[in-house]
Amino acid sequence: MSGERQKKGLWLDPRAKLFLILICVLASMFAPSLAYQFALVVLIAILGTFFGKWKYVIKAVCFYAVICVLTVWIMAEMTGTLRTMFIAFLGLFHKVYACGMLAGIVLSTTKVNEFLSAMNRVHAPKKLVIPLAVMLRYIPTIQEDWRYIKDAMRMRDVSPSFGGFLSHPGMTVECIYVPLMMTASKAADELSIASVTRGIENPNPRTCLVQIKCGIADWMIMAAAIAFLLFELCMRGGVIG
Amino acid sequence: MKNQANSMNKGLTVKDLVTTGIFTALLFVFILVGGIFFATNPVLTFFMPAGSGLLAGPVYLLLIAKVQKRWSLSIMGIIIGIIWFVTGMHWAFALGYLIMAIVADFVAGAGQYKSKKFNSIAYILFSLGGTGSYIVFFADPNGWAQTMLGNGTEQSYIDTMQATANTGILIAMFAAAIITSAISAFVGCKMLKKQFEKAGITA
Amino acid sequence: MIELEHVSFSYEVNVSEGDREDGLGRDGQEHDGLHDINLKIADGECVLFCGRSGCGKTTITRLVNGLIPQFYQGELHGRVLVDGQEISNLPMYQIAAKVGSVFQNPRTQFFNVDTDSEIAFGIENEARPPQELAERVEQTTEDLHIQKLRSRNIFELSGGEKQKIAFASVYAMNPKIYLLDEPSSNLDMTSIQELKEHLRLIKSQGKTILIAEHRLYYLMELADRIVYLEKGQIRKIYTPEEFRKLPEAEREHMGLRAVDLTEVLPPQKCLPVSAPILELQDVTLRYKKRTILHHIALSAAKGEVIGVVGHNGAGKTTFSRALCGLHKDCDGQFLWDGRPMDRKARLKKSYMVMQDVNYELFADSVEAECSFGIQGPDQKLVTETLEKLGLASYREQHPNTLSGGQKQRVAVAVSMICGKNLLVFDEPTSGLDFDSMAQVAGLIRRLSDMGKVIFIVTHDFEFVCRTCSRVLHFDEGEMPDDVPVVMDALPKLRELFSVKVNGSEGDREGGLGHSDGKER
Repeated sequence: MSGERQKKGLWLDPRAKLFLILICVLASMFAPSLAYQFALVVLIAILGTFFGKWKYVIKAVCFYAVICVLTVWIMAEMTGTLRTMFIAFLGLFHKVYACGMLAGIVLSTTKVNEFLSAMNRVHAPKKLVIPLAVMLRYIPTIQEDWRYIKDAMRMRDVSPSFGGFLSHPGMTVECIYVPLMMTASKAADELSIASVTRGIENPNPRTCLVQIKCGIADWMIMAAAIAFLLFELCMRGGVIG
Repeated sequence: MKNQANSMNKGLTVKDLVTTGIFTALLFVFILVGGIFFATNPVLTFFMPAGSGLLAGPVYLLLIAKVQKRWSLSIMGIIIGIIWFVTGMHWAFALGYLIMAIVADFVAGAGQYKSKKFNSIAYILFSLGGTGSYIVFFADPNGWAQTMLGNGTEQSYIDTMQATANTGILIAMFAAAIITSAISAFVGCKMLKKQFEKAGITA
Repeated sequence: MIELEHVSFSYEVNVSEGDREDGLGRDGQEHDGLHDINLKIADGECVLFCGRSGCGKTTITRLVNGLIPQFYQGELHGRVLVDGQEISNLPMYQIAAKVGSVFQNPRTQFFNVDTDSEIAFGIENEARPPQELAERVEQTTEDLHIQKLRSRNIFELSGGEKQKIAFASVYAMNPKIYLLDEPSSNLDMTSIQELKEHLRLIKSQGKTILIAEHRLYYLMELADRIVYLEKGQIRKIYTPEEFRKLPEAEREHMGLRAVDLTEVLPPQKCLPVSAPILELQDVTLRYKKRTILHHIALSAAKGEVIGVVGHNGAGKTTFSRALCGLHKDCDGQFLWDGRPMDRKARLKKSYMVMQDVNYELFADSVEAECSFGIQGPDQKLVTETLEKLGLASYREQHPNTLSGGQKQRVAVAVSMICGKNLLVFDEPTSGLDFDSMAQVAGLIRRLSDMGKVIFIVTHDFEFVCRTCSRVLHFDEGEMPDDVPVVMDALPKLRELFSVKVNGSEGDREGGLGHSDGKER
């Protein structure tokens, strides 16, 4: 999720986006065949183009097409345990791909504050929203920390790589966990102080600077998603799997 | 002094919530890093839960040691569930983590969040959350494969499926996940004692 | 009106004490508590609290913003009243509406990922209606001139910019009282200047300001009273006039940093320099395919101490990382004693003492830290080094329980034991009081006597004058200046460090753009 300035293109309510993901999960769960999965991916691709994500969409669709061909081939050729593994793997892959692709679009077009505002609007309890917000804010910090820690490890002649881990497991483990968790625990203290002194304990429900609204576009896209799901269910004839 | 007495007993404080959030971020990163290698490898896919369980133990145990209150672990599980869901992971994966996190919370709670044994078991249980989507597969391998095979599923296909989707893999998956997370919990306990308790960052 | 009546406080000593010391103190003695403090602060006053680390100045700010007793436990006697109300009886969020707090570390003060939400964070908590939120954010942006920082990702901002956002967030809440706990510790000269302007603004609005700070010079025009604390007691209260008149020796004896930077002078003469041992020839550095610095040529002799300055994003960090062999994308030659060094060789030879030393401490005791990763460590050398650096009595302790200055020394000890000859210090004096600063200066001089080549990335003019033999200045991808730290070069040095002589030239106040960009 980026904190960058909103680019031009379609804007959707984060709640609508969450709803789309839910429908997408259901649609992949109930997809009667690969053709429907593929149709779903294409639909998501169309949504992606509305957001102006041309490159991402084209790559994603092409990649999926390749995997589909591969799947058909594997199903025809392989046998035995290897086949079971591939079925589990590809099954998971197909069930997840569409959702993952949609998630990619959603995450890159939703700002953290919009997402939190949406959580606020659906009246998620504070005990959940605070840790969630902190988590989203802390992930980039881990990235920054990791860069410093890598530097520090190199200067101590400990290689921050898988090979380094194999040659000195104990030491590498300490080098990674100790500074990360020390800074995390320090950050937990300072961040809670900084939020307590700015009144986060106020029992009144928080308001939100970012106002989110469900517009016509949201409703139309949600309707389209439901229509696809219903169509799929009809074609499937109510079998659940 | 009355205020602090209250804040001690009144459930999760802001500090606890922030701590939970920060450690959830770390845990999430470790689960991801541990699992990603296996998840993208068709032959090793069943060992993904094992991979994810391998790295996160120290983080999980330090979180317990820092907060020592009910619901912190559950909140963490709910958040991880939400994130998996939003990032388009399989629903059973998200659900698995969510359910197991709550179960783990009660297990750790049985030891007042102070018993290393209970906390380690809690972590192992939590790690098993990652098996969610595979359980769904084993519950109904035909349904799982059907999508890929199209409507014209032949009976012979289904027969081979039943023959090969044996329980051996299922057991191996669970065993591997339990072993790696137990190792992780063991390392975590050691590290807590050696480093973090000495450094005074546990509650 | 803030009243402290016979206030005494001592921190509860328990296991989590170390946590607190590490998180918020820079010194093991930082939180010695307070004894019988009596103080009245009128509305609209600006009071500066100063003293050595551990004198209790931070504790006073915590009493006023309610963190004591609600966040920090301990034994509290006496009363702290704000507008006649006892602070310890109010819930934190009600105190927050009256008292705004800005802290030392800009990295851990923000809750959001984007600047707009962060500015609005406090007022969102106050549950003001959305319309008003937007208006307040606009007003704040305008008053503090931070248009350039709106709608940005906080992770892209420099430390100074983050601190500005933290200030803006408090400003938006419009509290009556502002508390600042060492706000300048992580700021460069330009950012400090801007912070000063912001303080001037809130002062003109009639706000009460309490600042606990080591760097004093930028507050001299603003403070109405200066409270000097020692060992948890108010030793004396000065007016700025009285304070300025303190002789230098007495001020330093009190453990205080310079009051007026124009009185800080470099040494008269530079020490004669021997033949160069480190040479950089035509070095070009790129970061993510962007050229950061190009065609740098440089030579340094054994024992030289070289300051590195430049505004944020000028390439200081990339330069130091390249020196240490941590940065990959670079061209040109690094020669040591006439022989070229590749990246691996530099990595072997050099050590960086990071601004946040916590990243480079891995072991569970000071002693273990010193032999960490070394096969067959030389126990005698370890013991000797620890003794030399005054760490012998802490050898069994976990590095995390030490003060900031002590941690820094542990890192230096590591570099000495590993036999590193090229040392880079990144902002070694951030958040240090006079005593600790002088100690670091002494340490660096000793390392220099041992023949090591030392680079110091710093904004601290006082420290540079005490330690460095020359200063490199990076700007716009080049190294336009290489200035010796001597009296003759004073005007140039002052320009580099934005030290203004009585409001004359060198005006950098309008230079908001200077603190742009990313640190790394």
